[in-house]
Amino acid sequence: MASLLAQAPILIIAIPLVAAFLTPLIGMRGDKARKALVVGSLAFTAFLVFALARDISITGIRVYTLGATAPGLTEPTGFMFPVRIILEVDGMSIFFGIIWAIVSLAAAIYSFSHIASETGQIRFFTLLLLMVAGGFGMMLTGDLFNLFVFLEIASIAGGALIGFRNRFGDTQEGAFKYIVVSAVAGLMVLLGTGILYAQYNSLNMAFLAQAIQYTTLDKIALALFLIAFAMKTGMVPLHLWFPDAYSVAPASITGMLVITSHACMYAAFRVCFTLYGGVIDGLVVGWIIIILGLLTMFVGVTMAVYQKDVMRFMSYHAISQLGYMWVGVGVGLAVLGTPALLAYGRDAMTGGIFHILNHAMYKPLLFFTGGALFYYTGTRDLAKMGGLAHKMKWTTVLYIIGTLSISGIPPLNGFSSKILIYESVFRFNPILTIVGIIVSILTLASFTKAFHSAFMGAELPEYKGGKEVPKSMIIGMVILAAGIVLITLFPSLIVSWALHPAADALIDHGAYINAVMGAVP
Amino acid sequence: MDYMPLNFPFLAAALLIGIAFFIIIFKRNLIKLIMGIAMMASGVNLFLVALGYRVGGNAPIYTNVPPGPMVLPVPQALTLTSIVISVAVLALMLTMVIRIYRHTGSLDSEKSRRMKG
Amino acid sequence: MTFIFESGYTFWNPLIWIIVFLVVAIMVYFFRRSGQKGYKKDTDQARIFLSGEEVPEAGERHIRVGNIYWGFFETLKEYYKQMLRIHTGIVNDYMLWFVAVTVVSAIILVVAGLVR
Repeated sequence: MASLLAQAPILIIAIPLVAAFLTPLIGMRGDKARKALVVGSLAFTAFLVFALARDISITGIRVYTLGATAPGLTEPTGFMFPVRIILEVDGMSIFFGIIWAIVSLAAAIYSFSHIASETGQIRFFTLLLLMVAGGFGMMLTGDLFNLFVFLEIASIAGGALIGFRNRFGDTQEGAFKYIVVSAVAGLMVLLGTGILYAQYNSLNMAFLAQAIQYTTLDKIALALFLIAFAMKTGMVPLHLWFPDAYSVAPASITGMLVITSHACMYAAFRVCFTLYGGVIDGLVVGWIIIILGLLTMFVGVTMAVYQKDVMRFMSYHAISQLGYMWVGVGVGLAVLGTPALLAYGRDAMTGGIFHILNHAMYKPLLFFTGGALFYYTGTRDLAKMGGLAHKMKWTTVLYIIGTLSISGIPPLNGFSSKILIYESVFRFNPILTIVGIIVSILTLASFTKAFHSAFMGAELPEYKGGKEVPKSMIIGMVILAAGIVLITLFPSLIVSWALHPAADALIDHGAYINAVMGAVP
Repeated sequence: MDYMPLNFPFLAAALLIGIAFFIIIFKRNLIKLIMGIAMMASGVNLFLVALGYRVGGNAPIYTNVPPGPMVLPVPQALTLTSIVISVAVLALMLTMVIRIYRHTGSLDSEKSRRMKG
Repeated sequence: MTFIFESGYTFWNPLIWIIVFLVVAIMVYFFRRSGQKGYKKDTDQARIFLSGEEVPEAGERHIRVGNIYWGFFETLKEYYKQMLRIHTGIVNDYMLWFVAVTVVSAIILVVAGLVR
C-alpha cells in the first residue's frame, strides 16, 4: 500500500493510458469484459486519486521524478537544476484530479447505454480512456512541455470523440472546429514554452518560477499562454467554437469536455500564479481576466436565452458559468501581494474554485439530461419537445436538481459558491457583483424556459410509446447528483478540506518552487 | 561571433508563423487552412530547433564524438515530440475534412457553418 | 458545525433551508390529499375545462420554445442582431478573434510594464 501510494502520481496517468490500449484486446472477449475493464480502471484511478489527496493533505506537496532512483530525487547528482520530467502534485492539482476522476467515471458509465446503438464502441472507449489520461497528465505535471503534450493528447482524443457519430454532418463540422482551435492553441503554448526555454534553459515550472525575470519576451509568452488556455476554456470573445463542438458530441463526452476545459483553466491559473507568481503585474493581468470574465458571463447567458437547441443552450450556459470562476480568481490575482488579499482576495479565489467544483458536478449532469432527451426523442431541438416529464421521471428530477443548482437557488450548492464570490468581489468592485446577480437571474429564466418547453405540458402524441432511459445512464447522472447533494449538505467541510488548500497552493508559489528546488539559499 | 548571423532562423520562424496565421484567417478553403496549421507547426518547430544551437557545441551522438562540449538535446527532443503530435493532429483534421466534404459537397468554410448563432 | 459555512461576511446554513423545504413539502402533500377522490374517470369530469371552448390537441396547446420570452427578445432586438453578426460560424473568424485578443493583451502587458 505504501509503495503503491509512493508511485501514485504516475499510476494515475499510466493506468488509464494502459487500459486504453488494452481495451481493443480485452474488448474482443465481449461487451462485459470491456465494460469491466473501463469501469475497473477508472474506479481504481479514482481510488488512487483520493488516497493521494489524503496523503497530500497530511504531508504537503508531492514530487515524483520520472526515472530517478527515488521519486523525491529531483536533481540528479552533479546537477544544479532538474533535467528529468517531474510530476508535481499540490492542493490545486489534486483538487482538479478529484473532479476529473468522479466525472470521467460517471461519464464512462453513462456512455454504456448512451452509445449502445453505435458501431465502433471499442474505439470509443479507447479514446475516452486516452482523454482521461491526457486530462490527468495536464493536472499533475510540473513540466511545461509535458503540459503541452498532455493538452494535445486530451485534444486529439476529444476531437475524435466529438466526431464519433460521423453519420451526422454537423458532428464533423463541430469536431473540425474543435481540433483547429486546439491545434492553434497548443502550438501557441509550445511557442510560449520555447520563448521561456530560450531565456532560462529549463522546462521545469518550479525552476522557471524561480528564475523568471518578467522581461518583454516573458510578457509576450504570458499573453500567449493566457489567451491560448483561455481560448481552450471558452472565454468570450474566443468562445465561438465552444457551442459548436459541445452541442454535437455524445452527451457523455460533452460532460467530460467541460472538465478538460477546467483543466485548461487550471493550466492558466498555474501559469499566472505559480510560473509568473513572483513577478507578475497582478493588477493588469487580473483586470484583463476580470473584464474578459464579465464579458464571458454576460454574453454567454444572453446567447443561451436565445438558443433553441438543448445542448447548444447548455453549452452557452457553461460559457457563462466559466465567467464566475474567471472573475473570482481574477480578483484574487488583482490583489495578489497586497493586504487586500487576506481581507477578501483569498475568499474570492476560494469562491471561484468552489464554483469550479460545483460547475463540474451540475454541468455534466445537465449535459447528461440533455443527452437523455436526445436519446428519447432523437432530436436536440427544444421546439419539437414537450410533455416529457410524463415518461422520463428520473431525468426530470435530475434536471430540476441541476437547474436549481446552476441558478444558485438555495439550498443547493450553486448558491453557496455564488454567495462567496458576490460577497468578496463586492469589496473589490461592486459592479462585478451586480453583473453576477443579473447573470444568475437570466440563468434561472432560461432554464425555466427550457424546462417548460421540454418537460412540461401535456403528453405529446409522438412521444407516447417511449420508455425512461436505460439504467446505466441514470446511474451516471445519479453519481453527479449525489455529488451535488453532498456539497450542498457540507459546504464548510468542502471549503476547509479541499478549497482552502487549493487556493493557498495558488497563492503560495514559494512552496511549489521549494518542493522541487529544495530550500532557496 | 557568439551567435547565429542576424538571428536568421528566428526571423524565418516568425515569418512562417505570420504567413500561417494569414492563411488560417483569410483562406476559406479547409485544405488550405490545414496547410496553414502545418506551416505554423513547422514554424514553431524551426524556432525550437534554432534554440538548441550553440556555437562550438557537438551534436549529442555518442559514436565518433569529436572533442569538445556536447549540447543538451532537450530542444531536439521537443521538436521530435511536437512533429509527431502535429502529424496526428493533421491526420485527424484531414479525415474530418473528408467527412465534411461527403456531407456538404464543399470544402468552403463558409459553406460548413451549419451551426452558428 | 459542519453544516454552517461562515467566512467574512458570509453566513450560510443549508439545514435551515432543507427544514423549510420539508415543511412546505408536507403542507403540499396535505393539501393534495384533501382533494376530491370520488370523481368518475373517462367522463367530462376528468376533462380539461376552458371556459366552454373547444380544447385544442396536446401538440397545439403546448407553448413551444420559440414563443417564450417574446417581449425580452423584442426589446433587445438590436443587441441580438449584433451578437448574431459576430457568431458567424466560420472557423477562420474564430482564429481572427484569437489573434486579435492575443495581440491586444500582449500590447497591454508590455505597455503597462513600460509605464510602471
